Amino acid sequence: MMITKLEQMFDVLRNEQKKVLVAACANDSHTIGAVHQAREMGLVEGVLVGDEKKILNICKEEKIDPSLYRIVNEPDDVRAVARAVALINAGEGDLLMKGLVNTDKYMRGILNKENGLMEKKAVLSHVTVLENPNYHKLMIVGDVAIIPLPDLEQKVAITNYLIQTAHALGIEKPKVALLAASETVTPKIPANADAAVITKMAERGQIKGALVDGPLAMDLCIDPESVELKGIVSDVAGDADCILFPNIESGNVFYKTNTKLANANLGAVVVGARVPAILSSRGDSVEVKMASIALAAMMSRGKA
Amino acid sequence: MRPIRKLSEIAPFLKEKGVLKKVAVACAEDMNTMEAVGQAAKEGLIEPVLYGRADLMEQAAREAGVATGSFDVIECSSEGEALGQAVAAVKKGRADILMKGLVGTDKFLKAVLHKENGLMRPNAVMSYTCALELPAYHKLLFVSDTAVLPFPDLSQKSAMITYSVEMAHKFGIETPRVALIGASEKVSPHFQNSIDYALLSRMNVRGQITGCLVDGPLDLFCACDPESLAIKGVSSPLEGDADILIFPSLEASNAFYKGLMRFAGGELAGLIQGTEKPVVVMSRSETALSKFYCMALACLVAES
Repeated sequence: MMITKLEQMFDVLRNEQKKVLVAACANDSHTIGAVHQAREMGLVEGVLVGDEKKILNICKEEKIDPSLYRIVNEPDDVRAVARAVALINAGEGDLLMKGLVNTDKYMRGILNKENGLMEKKAVLSHVTVLENPNYHKLMIVGDVAIIPLPDLEQKVAITNYLIQTAHALGIEKPKVALLAASETVTPKIPANADAAVITKMAERGQIKGALVDGPLAMDLCIDPESVELKGIVSDVAGDADCILFPNIESGNVFYKTNTKLANANLGAVVVGARVPAILSSRGDSVEVKMASIALAAMMSRGKA
Repeated sequence: MRPIRKLSEIAPFLKEKGVLKKVAVACAEDMNTMEAVGQAAKEGLIEPVLYGRADLMEQAAREAGVATGSFDVIECSSEGEALGQAVAAVKKGRADILMKGLVGTDKFLKAVLHKENGLMRPNAVMSYTCALELPAYHKLLFVSDTAVLPFPDLSQKSAMITYSVEMAHKFGIETPRVALIGASEKVSPHFQNSIDYALLSRMNVRGQITGCLVDGPLDLFCACDPESLAIKGVSSPLEGDADILIFPSLEASNAFYKGLMRFAGGELAGLIQGTEKPVVVMSRSETALSKFYCMALACLVAES
């Protein structure tokens, strides 16, 4: 089934064997509340790694039955992250989620050379799935959060993550637009040059499972009328499923403009590690948290 | 016009059109030059104008067995004067083609490249394209750059494509297929040529390089052999049927054409590119036939 709205993920997951979400540093009500709600919605099972005493207290306050969860006692935040990662490496969890620990410590746990979640030479990145009421389907975009200025090889990795995410959402042959400020191929602007090179790589079968075209300006990515006006011949332009951003600023502005000015909803995950990892913050709405957990679970499907 | 598929078809094609071009020969003081000029004149393709020392030119004509009675002969007291006058004659339109005689190639090209008095088009790149006729290929192959640019960069490669395409158009090939030759069809950031090629082929798709189909990187088999293309599973708009081969370096292209001349019965005709009018530089080691083809090619290109 092809997902065109974020909530459709919930329907898919509800009827399947549950993936196990491991919350690292589940020492606050936001984290425990999110895990509990996700479980109630039938999206995942949960493991809470953190200060057991605090966890039990919070459960009591929030009227959550703690026996529904495996609780692993580790009061220190850095060690709690390491423990959560170890559980996943031992096959006792499928998804990682950040709790009450700062992002640096969380990421360091994932990136740890010996005990982390990275395969050799893997690129850690971030994928956001946007549901904008003004677009006829989801937009899968990256990297809006982790890699500031990806080089060509990192862009290829991000492109592949966008494609994998699309596949996880049932989009068989996603249309991937490589964003720049114009459609002109020129060596003078790195965004345009890299986009052309990646397009050629896809033509050569070095990037599989998608239609890829770039450079394309934003209007050419998502607006068929602009494509017609400009006379661009492309099997991607005007109907993109995925958009690769040339740098973090453009991607970050894009998704925030979508959410703040166009009522878009979103789910987001950290990709490139052995399992999808969730990085939501306390400021995120419940919708965003649930969509992110569901997205991670969707991406984990098909993996043992 | 029906495409010209053999070098031997050029002269008859021109004769039928009644083409007769004036060729200014700088320092026509050696037997080789005189032979080439003599044959083209005898075939009725050209009217030579010889610049040089009269005594040396007479001697060269005697050795070559060429009757110069109908030729214009302009007595010049020095090499520099002969070269200057020959270039000026072409520049001012009194002759259609410039040809190098017994004068160093460096000096000759310097005169062609001279900013005010030379023959280069504005912002042009001096390069070289030759047309190769091979018993083992079903049509002519245009190859660049076999003589001038050691390591062409992106903009020089782009110029080589433009000039070679213009030449192919003169042969009646409406949409020549341009293969950008590498050692494989893969695009890799570790090989700058493959990146240049990816950009150039995408420039063609975006309509920035017109009048031709461009694809690369391709290895020689994928460029010129549909079967190899099919076996490798590479999809190329050229379909293994290239008209033009663009090489990444002078060594590669030079070894390519000389190997074919020496071992595979090839014949060729070549011209300096980027000039306002055709400029002929022949090597003494070329066969009499290749020299004649070279003159015929210059006449074909001079014909607008």
